[in-house]
Amino acid sequence: MSAVSRLTAALAVLALLAACGSEKSEPSPMGAAVGTLAKATLSRMSARRAGGEAKTPAAPSRAEIEKYGMPILRAVIPSRGADALVTISDRKGPVVTWSTTDGTTFSLRDGVLIQTRGLGPDLMSARAPSLGQLRQNGGTHQRVYYFLGADDRTTTRTYDCTVQVRGGESVTIFGRAHATTRVTEECVRPQGRITNEFWLEGATVRKSRQWVSGLTGYIDLERVVD
Amino acid sequence: MPQTRLLALLALGTALSGLPAAAEMPKSLNLNGATGLIDMPSGEAQEDARFTFSTALIGPVTRSSISFQITERLSGTFRFQVWRDWDTIIPGDDKFEDRSFDLRYQILKEGTYVPALTIGLQDFTSEGKFSSEYLAATKNFGERLKLTAGLGWGRMGSYGGIGAPFGDRPALPESDWGTPNVDQWFRGEAAPFAGVEYKISDQWTFKAEYSSDDYVLEEERGLIERDSPFNFGFEYQRGPNMRYGLYSLYGTEVAFAFHLILDPKTRATGGVMGAAPVPVKARPARTADPEAYDGGWVTQADAGPLLRKNLAKRLASDGIAIENLSYTATTAQIRIRSNRIDAGAQAIGRTARALSHVMPASVETFEIVPVVNGMGASKVTIRRSDLEQLEYAADNGSLLRQRVTITDAGPLPANAVGDDGLYPKFRWSLKPALKLSEPLKGDVGLRLAASYDIRPGLVLSGAVYKRVLGNVDRDGAYSDSTLPHVRTDNSRYSKYADPGLEQLTLAWYSRPATDIYSRVTLGYLERMHAGISGEVLWKPVDSRFALGAEVNYTRQRDTDGGFGFDEYDYDVVTGHVSAYYDFGNGYLGQLDVGKYLAGDLGATVSLDRVFANGWRVGAFATVTDVSTEEFGDGGFDKGIRFTIPLTWAMGTETRQTFAATLRTDTGDGGARVDVDGRLYESIREYHTQSLDPDWGRVWR
Repeated sequence: MSAVSRLTAALAVLALLAACGSEKSEPSPMGAAVGTLAKATLSRMSARRAGGEAKTPAAPSRAEIEKYGMPILRAVIPSRGADALVTISDRKGPVVTWSTTDGTTFSLRDGVLIQTRGLGPDLMSARAPSLGQLRQNGGTHQRVYYFLGADDRTTTRTYDCTVQVRGGESVTIFGRAHATTRVTEECVRPQGRITNEFWLEGATVRKSRQWVSGLTGYIDLERVVD
Repeated sequence: MPQTRLLALLALGTALSGLPAAAEMPKSLNLNGATGLIDMPSGEAQEDARFTFSTALIGPVTRSSISFQITERLSGTFRFQVWRDWDTIIPGDDKFEDRSFDLRYQILKEGTYVPALTIGLQDFTSEGKFSSEYLAATKNFGERLKLTAGLGWGRMGSYGGIGAPFGDRPALPESDWGTPNVDQWFRGEAAPFAGVEYKISDQWTFKAEYSSDDYVLEEERGLIERDSPFNFGFEYQRGPNMRYGLYSLYGTEVAFAFHLILDPKTRATGGVMGAAPVPVKARPARTADPEAYDGGWVTQADAGPLLRKNLAKRLASDGIAIENLSYTATTAQIRIRSNRIDAGAQAIGRTARALSHVMPASVETFEIVPVVNGMGASKVTIRRSDLEQLEYAADNGSLLRQRVTITDAGPLPANAVGDDGLYPKFRWSLKPALKLSEPLKGDVGLRLAASYDIRPGLVLSGAVYKRVLGNVDRDGAYSDSTLPHVRTDNSRYSKYADPGLEQLTLAWYSRPATDIYSRVTLGYLERMHAGISGEVLWKPVDSRFALGAEVNYTRQRDTDGGFGFDEYDYDVVTGHVSAYYDFGNGYLGQLDVGKYLAGDLGATVSLDRVFANGWRVGAFATVTDVSTEEFGDGGFDKGIRFTIPLTWAMGTETRQTFAATLRTDTGDGGARVDVDGRLYESIREYHTQSLDPDWGRVWR
């Protein structure tokens, strides 16, 4: 047995150490996390593997989605090929928490993402602009993201952001067209920049692309059913 | 079960290759597991806390090393080296094994004009077979080219010397083996070395060096012929965690290296895995529903059991068991045992969320007492309205921490609902166990363990181990140690106690007073010794400092892993006074002074670096009144230890870890009884110094 194969064996053993007994640990969430959004939600629409190969189960129609009779949000995370329809699990004033049935949640304040849980590289909390601030063309604000960083310590990213109202744009979500105003929020800090985009329809954020965390990247959100 | 395993294995594979490689030129490692070129060191240092495992094959020589970047500038290496075909020319053993320690310190960090400069001691405490001292400077030129030049002494001063600036290098007398070779450091001929690294692509690097090591020892033994001082080769980086190297060495040899590079600070999964918590349940406003805040429910006879049952149901999904619940109309105290979540703060957060769902609105104060081995480790007091207000606030972790108090657990409240039928008293497991004794030596076996809680704090537990495969020494001969064979008959225990009873004990843990913890353990404490062990610890919740004392009376067990004491007629009273200090940033120091198993008197110093996610890397050294000759080749007891949490590698929510202690040489001096449940480590997790670094997980 060569040294390397011995090492590999040792690593394999390390991986196998979760064995039987009265105290079970949770099954490894790594696999689950990758497909978490896709798997256990109301309906699966398309789950691309990281490689980009598309497996496309029949997408549900708007009628099928509306049959559930509850508000529904579509969440897509391009970096992990996850695509899901999620429902509301908590509502506290302006904050609505949407969740998949297998334990990933997204909390939005008036449609602006402020927390995620269950992704791994989560957004723990955020100082985010209000919807009012996002309507102010040329308005500036500071945005602060809080994460669990190296060694699980709370780390922050602070950005200086500028809002630009880009004008009217028609957005089609599951066959329904919405007249929206597109707003971009450009945020910079010395180490880099991010851009959040919002499509506002009245008081509703109909669609958005919002940054979550370094490893997760952006999430695309579409409000399918109000 | 097999599915879980497969998943776990796949997860590890994905995990280790999941993160993008850094764009900058890596600070690569050499054949000796130290930061460097091919056989020579460089002036660079690894990223802080980097933990690397290296294996190098150089003809008949194998070097396996574990290196750790202790601080940004200081790093250490523990190396296990084997020279095979040792008897090619000179008769004797067919192989020679040597364990060595290195320390290196980066004096200068690289600047615009200044190179990185490192001073290093290689193999500074053993027989001197691999001893060198060096100064090495490295400078990057652009993003692809790196040049290194240095000056070496000892082995690294053996070829192309330029004179001995600090005098002759005296021979190392055998009596000094195992102790720091201070008299040799930087003495004798000094010789220059140099090298170049060129990054071809993100994966491939070319390296070439001029080596100042003459390989005198290897040539003398006919192992490696050294025809040229030039070495060159290519390295391939596979993801951030693996690096391979293939080299031409000294004109005659082909060498291969593999490095496993781990970053304890960063989870392989990129973040804390596990399902989202349930949202905090908001109470109705007092003005809107004053009746909800009525405390009359306290008088209902069935309230307690019902609340407890509902809480248990909610907490079960997080692997948290309730040991006790007590309440008044305004305050609830819950005593929990966290069996799965690896961070105290997260277990507390999950418990608080569950309380917000179950406890009637009149309860405003939540007291959460994490319990370890039946002992309340601390009491975290959270105002329910803070929990409700801060759930979605920016920086809610810090804000909540400011409003939370962490104090001594205190006694169990008189009104506790102690239905102990609701938590599992009997636990068992059958698991593969990897016992590592050297970087590439160890046993894989199966361990059947069980424990039974007679009542909280009174635990009967036992474990049986059966080896399946491995390569640890099992020749079964008595050692030639002149001291009582309290540790050195290891190979006999490995051979005959298979399967063997590792442990069978009755342990009683309690909290005799504020800030005081106590333990009494009776029975088969470990595989070589049985008896009684008593310990007391003083540790205020928010103190960096702790004091402990331990007294043991033990008899040496038979090597067959059974219950007998016939083989050795040896019993001893041992004991220690221990001081613990938390230096902050995860550095823990410990000093133990007392009497050791062979009857020797002395002290142990240890320093560990612990990470919030459960990683732990440390070193220890024990000096006793046993002479270095009596101790054996190692001189005195010293070694390293590390713990890798499985959740870090795989993301699985588990408290399981993989831990190993590696010594330069096992002797009978400086040995302590290996008893489970030592107090400081048991309770530290729930004290301020451990809860605070990753307190943000309270909202996870």
